[in-house]
Order: sequence, then C-alpha cells, then structure tokens
Amino acid sequence: MKKVIDARGEACPKPVIMTKKELDSIEEGVITTIVDNEVAKENVSKLANSLGYEYKVDKKGDNEYHIHISKGAASEETNVCTPDTFKDMTIAFSSNTMGKGSEELGKILMKSFIYTLTEATPYPSTLVFYNGGVHLTCEGSEVLEDLKKLEEEGVEIISCGTCLDYYNLKDKLKVGTVSNMYTIYEKLRNPIKTLTIG
Amino acid sequence: MKEREFGVITFKSTHYAIKGDSIFKKENINFRTIPTPREITHSCGLSIKFDLMDLDRIKNIIDENQIDIEGIFKIVKSTEGSRAEKLN
Repeated sequence: MKKVIDARGEACPKPVIMTKKELDSIEEGVITTIVDNEVAKENVSKLANSLGYEYKVDKKGDNEYHIHISKGAASEETNVCTPDTFKDMTIAFSSNTMGKGSEELGKILMKSFIYTLTEATPYPSTLVFYNGGVHLTCEGSEVLEDLKKLEEEGVEIISCGTCLDYYNLKDKLKVGTVSNMYTIYEKLRNPIKTLTIG
Repeated sequence: MKEREFGVITFKSTHYAIKGDSIFKKENINFRTIPTPREITHSCGLSIKFDLMDLDRIKNIIDENQIDIEGIFKIVKSTEGSRAEKLN
C-alpha cells in the first residue's frame, strides 16, 4: 500500500495533520508526504519519529522534500537504548535571562542554570525554547556547548519556529530542532512535569 | 574509572563574579561561569570554572585586574564522589 500526500503550499501545521490522518487510516504501508519547506519537513519527520515509524527524507530540490513514512506492525516496537532522562519532564525557557530584575544577573544565572543541568542526572527529557529563550539555542549563545552535550545524551531540544523567525534567527539555530506550537503544547501540557524558567 | 579535575575561583560577592566573567571573556580564556560547587560551599554563589592548565595565566589576570576573589580551588571528581582542595 502506497499513498502520496501533496502538502506543498499548505501552511503549518496542515502538512502534519494531513499526514497523521492518512497514517491513522491505514493498517500498514508507506505514505509519502511532499512539502515545500524545511520547517514542514522537520515537523512531518518529527511526527513520524514520535509515532515510532521509520521514515526517510528525499530532498528533491531547494523547495521540495519527500518524506517517506513506513507504517508497519514490526516498526511499532523498536528496541532503542533509553537515555538517562526523566521521562516526560520538560523545562521551558521563555527568556534568555533567569528571573526578572537585572538583565546582567539574569543572563549569568541562566548560564549557570544550564550548566547545572549538565551536571545532574537524570536529565530532563525535553528542553523547549520560546520567545527570548531562542537566543540560547542560536549562534552567539554562551550555553551551546552545554546544550549540545545534553542533546548527545538524548535530551530533546526544540525551539519555537515563529520565535526564530521573529528574531531573524532562522538560519542561526545551532542546536536541536525547530518546532511549532502544537508540539510545544504537547510538551508543556503536563504541569506536574513541566518547569518554566525565564 | 573516569576522574575529572578542574579549577574553580570563588568570589566575595556576586558583583565580583560578574566582573570576573566579563574580564575572562575579554582575555579569551576557556572558562565557564557555574554555581559554586557544593564541595566548596553550600551558599548560593557563582564561581568560575577553568582548566587547571591555565592556572598561572588565571592568577596573572586576577592580579592585573585586581579581581576580588575569595579563593581558588581544585575540584576532583571520581567515582567515589567529588572533593575540593584549596589552592590559593
């Protein structure tokens, strides 16, 4: 069973919704979603990843990506090594400073906080960066080294695409991936497991 | 097993720590601003972590810039835990 979804020209999060709908409707098979931008490609890939399906991305040109997603009985249960993380614990960074008051102090506290994250296991499973927080994942950030270390240890790092766009940082992202509000909400919606720093 | 060693400078106040951070940044030293390790003190404070290889250079920078430090420590982390030795 093979199916092609043409999601070119569709605004975020439509390609994800279209793909999810098709994947839900089949028992097994391959779905190919065609999108025309990097963010949509990332989001569709992330969907496949979060559902545990194997996927492959073919870049057909500057503005065309084909994402092949295989849904199969065998791929439901994959044996991967579990990283040393608190399952489902998310830390949200709403700013590049920690707390309100002095900006100088706030910046240094944030550096020190993120360093501390690398020293205390288990790690959180996800770090979400939005609004001014996206400065921390982009070029010029003083915590890139720490964030890269966390990413290598299996911590998922996501930055809000709208925010990167707003601050003109889209091509300056140095760690983790771009995400949208749907994913951000999914990560933050459990208040018991979410910590907001900013 | 894996053993890690690094140097830590503690300061008399947060303001001196922030001053130290900006001076070391200008000097192009490989350092990190970190919370003061619990082996040194349990109080809330900021310290500067550095590579022990740079110890002499660090001491020079502190003297030249008259940075008001509290102490310089060596932190040794091993599988048995971690300990601090005062260097200065």
